[in-house]
Amino acid sequence: MIQKVRVITKIGSDLKGEGILSDIHKILRIKSVEKVTAIKVYRLEGVSQKQAKVLADKLLCEEINQSYSINKQILDGEFQVLEIAYKSGVMNPEVESILKAASDLRIKLLAADSSFEYIFHGKLKKDEVLKIIEKLRLFNPLTEHIVDKEPPTLLIKGSLGKTQSIPIRKCTDKLLLELSKDKLFLNLEEMKVIQKYFQKIKRDPTDLELETLAQTWSEHCAHKTFKAKIILDGKEKEPFFTRLKKEALKHNKNIVSAFVDNAGVMDFYDGWAINGKAETHNAPSAIEPYGGAMTGSGGVFRDVVATGQGAKTLMSTDIFCLAPPSMDKSKLPVGTLPPDYILKRVVAAVRDYDNRVGIPTNNGSFHFHEDFRAKPIVLVGAYGILPKDKAQKGSPKVGDIAIVIGGRTGRDGIHGATFSSAEMTERTISVNETAVQIGNAIEEKRTFDAILEARDKNLIRAVQDLGAGGFSSAIGEMGQDLGVTVHLEKAPLKYQGLSPWEIWVSESQERMLIILPGKNLKKFSKICQKYNVEATEVAWFDGSKRLNIYFGKRKVGDLEMKFLYGGLPQRVLRAKRNFQFPISNFQFPKEPKDEKEWIKTLEKVLESGDVNSKEPILRLYDHNVQGASVLHPFIGVGMDGPSDAAVIRPLLDKPYGLIVSHGLSPKLTAEDPYWGTLWSAAEAISNYVVVGGDYKEACLINNYIWPFPDEEWLGKLDSCVMGVVDFMKALKIPVISGKDSLSATYRGSDGFILYSPPTLCISVFGKIPDVKKTISSDFKKIGSTIVLVGKQDRKVDLKVLPKVLDTMYKAISNGKVLASHDVSEGGLITSIFEMCVGGDFGASLSVKASELLLETAGCFIVEVDGGQTAKKLFKAVPYKILGKTTEDPVISVDKLFSVKVVDLEKAWKKPMQGIFS
Amino acid sequence: MIKPKICILRSDGTNCDVELAYAFDKAGGNSQFVHVNELRTKKVSLKDFQVLAFPGGFSYGDDIASGKILAVEMVSSLKEELESFREKGGLIIGICNGFQTLIRTGLLPFGSLGKMDATLAPNDSGHFECRWVRLSPDKKSKCPFLQRIEDMGWYSVNHGEGKFFASDEIIKKVEERGLVAFRYVDEKGQSTQKYPQNPNGSINAIAGITDPTGRIFGMMPHPEKFVDLTQYPNWRREKIIKPHGLSLFENIIKFLKEGK
Repeated sequence: MIQKVRVITKIGSDLKGEGILSDIHKILRIKSVEKVTAIKVYRLEGVSQKQAKVLADKLLCEEINQSYSINKQILDGEFQVLEIAYKSGVMNPEVESILKAASDLRIKLLAADSSFEYIFHGKLKKDEVLKIIEKLRLFNPLTEHIVDKEPPTLLIKGSLGKTQSIPIRKCTDKLLLELSKDKLFLNLEEMKVIQKYFQKIKRDPTDLELETLAQTWSEHCAHKTFKAKIILDGKEKEPFFTRLKKEALKHNKNIVSAFVDNAGVMDFYDGWAINGKAETHNAPSAIEPYGGAMTGSGGVFRDVVATGQGAKTLMSTDIFCLAPPSMDKSKLPVGTLPPDYILKRVVAAVRDYDNRVGIPTNNGSFHFHEDFRAKPIVLVGAYGILPKDKAQKGSPKVGDIAIVIGGRTGRDGIHGATFSSAEMTERTISVNETAVQIGNAIEEKRTFDAILEARDKNLIRAVQDLGAGGFSSAIGEMGQDLGVTVHLEKAPLKYQGLSPWEIWVSESQERMLIILPGKNLKKFSKICQKYNVEATEVAWFDGSKRLNIYFGKRKVGDLEMKFLYGGLPQRVLRAKRNFQFPISNFQFPKEPKDEKEWIKTLEKVLESGDVNSKEPILRLYDHNVQGASVLHPFIGVGMDGPSDAAVIRPLLDKPYGLIVSHGLSPKLTAEDPYWGTLWSAAEAISNYVVVGGDYKEACLINNYIWPFPDEEWLGKLDSCVMGVVDFMKALKIPVISGKDSLSATYRGSDGFILYSPPTLCISVFGKIPDVKKTISSDFKKIGSTIVLVGKQDRKVDLKVLPKVLDTMYKAISNGKVLASHDVSEGGLITSIFEMCVGGDFGASLSVKASELLLETAGCFIVEVDGGQTAKKLFKAVPYKILGKTTEDPVISVDKLFSVKVVDLEKAWKKPMQGIFS
Repeated sequence: MIKPKICILRSDGTNCDVELAYAFDKAGGNSQFVHVNELRTKKVSLKDFQVLAFPGGFSYGDDIASGKILAVEMVSSLKEELESFREKGGLIIGICNGFQTLIRTGLLPFGSLGKMDATLAPNDSGHFECRWVRLSPDKKSKCPFLQRIEDMGWYSVNHGEGKFFASDEIIKKVEERGLVAFRYVDEKGQSTQKYPQNPNGSINAIAGITDPTGRIFGMMPHPEKFVDLTQYPNWRREKIIKPHGLSLFENIIKFLKEGK
């Protein structure tokens, strides 16, 4: 029997209900709904009504401001009720807490669930309410459902799926392709290599073996495009990956580990190292932005922790490229979500996940372009710290064991693509097949806590993330030299009913793999117990040089490591470069003719998506947890002036700083992949240097988000990679980590194709010995001199840039610069405006009209005490004195306009306040 | 003299433990991280500590209500341990999620373990707030840790459920007995209900309270996040002599050493 407890807020506001009512009135303009009440519903299975009452009194309800009912509606009157719950099989993180607290109260629950019931007061019909729910997108059908009948039980049952043999040896080419198309996503050449292998060993593969090969050889895991031989306009070129790596390793002063681990590692101070990683989670976020962005964060945090023998995650960055929230909804292709919904949900995901794990999100950006309306970019970065002598993974030795810790394995994240729908139905049981998951932040946090303690007690050989490809990828990779025996029946499951291959490739979140010598198991398990983390031995390294997979006594997989990791043929890809280099400096469509037009133009620039203030979003992110931030995202008199980069002190008792920044410009890389790449990289490094960083003490992370590479897109990608290589060459600093995501294409069934703007994001992270030598962007003094430093050109001059960066760094570290801010989107007038906001000052300027809105990279606005100082500091590089700061908070430009800062501030702050406040 | 021992209590989802330990140690304490399971299995005993500190974070995900699951755990499984710690004169400090936990155990405001008299409800803004606010210590407070603490000091707030709320009767009792330690104040130093200076809509702008003995103390804002100058967003433009959060920790250590 299930006891159903409803809890209602009796005193104070029902924020959820009021929020929905306000949307119904304001967005839908439906006046017949008088009030909405949100009721929290708990279902408790396996307890008596009396026990449910104890739980309600002691756990679920607080009588100061709430009341409850058991097994009956709590309100009466005329209304419609609608309940929204997670679908069965989708992680509801709250359940575990309910079970734990009940057990602490000595009540044993069999199962539990929680959900929300919404009461719509007023004269309404059921279908009207359904329409409201749908229009406001109060639930996502991929993970949630409307409860229309009481579930008889909350337990998920099922019986074990079988392992099947796939008759691949006799397949014709056509059949091979069909098999691949539905399940494996390999090309014919690769399928034939697999076929030949099994013909040679005279048997057919099991479904698990085929899945293993497909996962290991997938674009995601094997980076086939980046490792392919490129034939550009008939000429052979080295693979992208080789070019990047070759150049990077020339600049290895600070490199501790590059391209080999889950994150790149560079040197820090006092025997410490710092690491960084950035990764996209675009596909899941397009269909379920909340779960998609959450698990995006979760995965990147785990990548940082699963570096070497374990790292601590220090901070996170979130970069989102979306269609403008105000875009006309009729432009949305079939099966895509409205951009304002995506925007709100990805922000909510960062708030709910990052805040809970306790990772400050203190750097990021938003880029809006209508062509992101089908496939948005959700790019999460994370940075950590670890002892330098534990920054390399130890190689497993024969007798070492692999332990899975953290979350349990479920069907989450197994893509429907891997098996045909008929077979799928047969196996579906009562669980939903879902490619999208909801993250459990607390599971992740306690798993990290356990890993760090075990690392410090020297118990760990290596840490590996269970991300894409799950066990298949993590165990396989760790065992590729030695060989490994896996016992899948030991893996703890969320629910029964999974087939061995599903357990093997499941991508359930919050799981990590720990490799350690068998003798450390007891001590390690004790640590896990202390942190409430489940730890289970699933494999051991056996020296067989094979992948031996068992389910109980039955062998379900047996592959030679040599074939699995060495059998994939290198791809040869053709590319062509038949595009122009159209990048040009900003031209006014029509130069504003008088002051009034100027102000209007400025307001338009400041309210535009890429430029407007993101403060309301940053106030939702906990950007100050861990107490390590020394340059907060917003600073200045009203704490509303934006910063260019994040600076944190990873070790609270030391002055050492970690600086993190990034740069990208989808609109420019779309316009011209080479110059757009240089602009993006220059913007990234400028954001780093402008706060006081020495670019020579920095490393780079590159992320490519590109439409599916046909010959033309591949040609463009080639230019982009050239840009990254040239940038490394000019600055003499390396890329040490990165990722490519080459599927930013939408194909509608009606033949409609939409390419997301090709995007390169460069993230920069590095070190500074004393954070006191970093500076902020807010103007500090009245009457000081405002200087523009750097060459004003959208085509970045790689000869001039390093000199400018070096000059800036020296000027700042000598303490001569009062404030400085990078020039980018919105041009130099936007930078000066933002510095005025931070300082609560004005500026009196003399600048040419054509220069005000020029969106350059590698240029800086600098505040120094006078013209003489400016000359002394900057004479070796291009610089210009623009004017002075003023006490009166007004920005005036000679002969053009004069405008109150506060008036511009309104335009700049309004868009995001409208969405998030 | 021996440094007072501080038990920094961790549970699943604690995430402000490191900076809290740093603040205590900087002020002269000796912090040790202890997981609640270590108390439950009696591997560690509170007897060895003078302060039990509940740090910020999301204990058990703040499921059901913030700090609720940990509060239920403390009351159901560690009641005697807590009682004897309190009787022997131990101090109990809760910050942010720790304050939420203390409120939900009933230890604050009246020291009635197992009976809630007040709550920390969702912020009036309806969402999480990460910003800096000004606080002033209450002049009538009997809290022994408030000497030399600046009026209008800056503190970081990082929470979604921080609205101090109780019945009129309870609020009256809290006020009359001098249990309010800190209030949110505006730029003139007046206690305020205005958002965002009062970031959550707390009644009477209450940001932190003590129990009647003054030995149990909790607050929503984070003094431990401003014990070094560079932790404050405007350290580059404002002249600040002493980080605003540090005195509180120094006072606690002084109280333990000197009994005042």
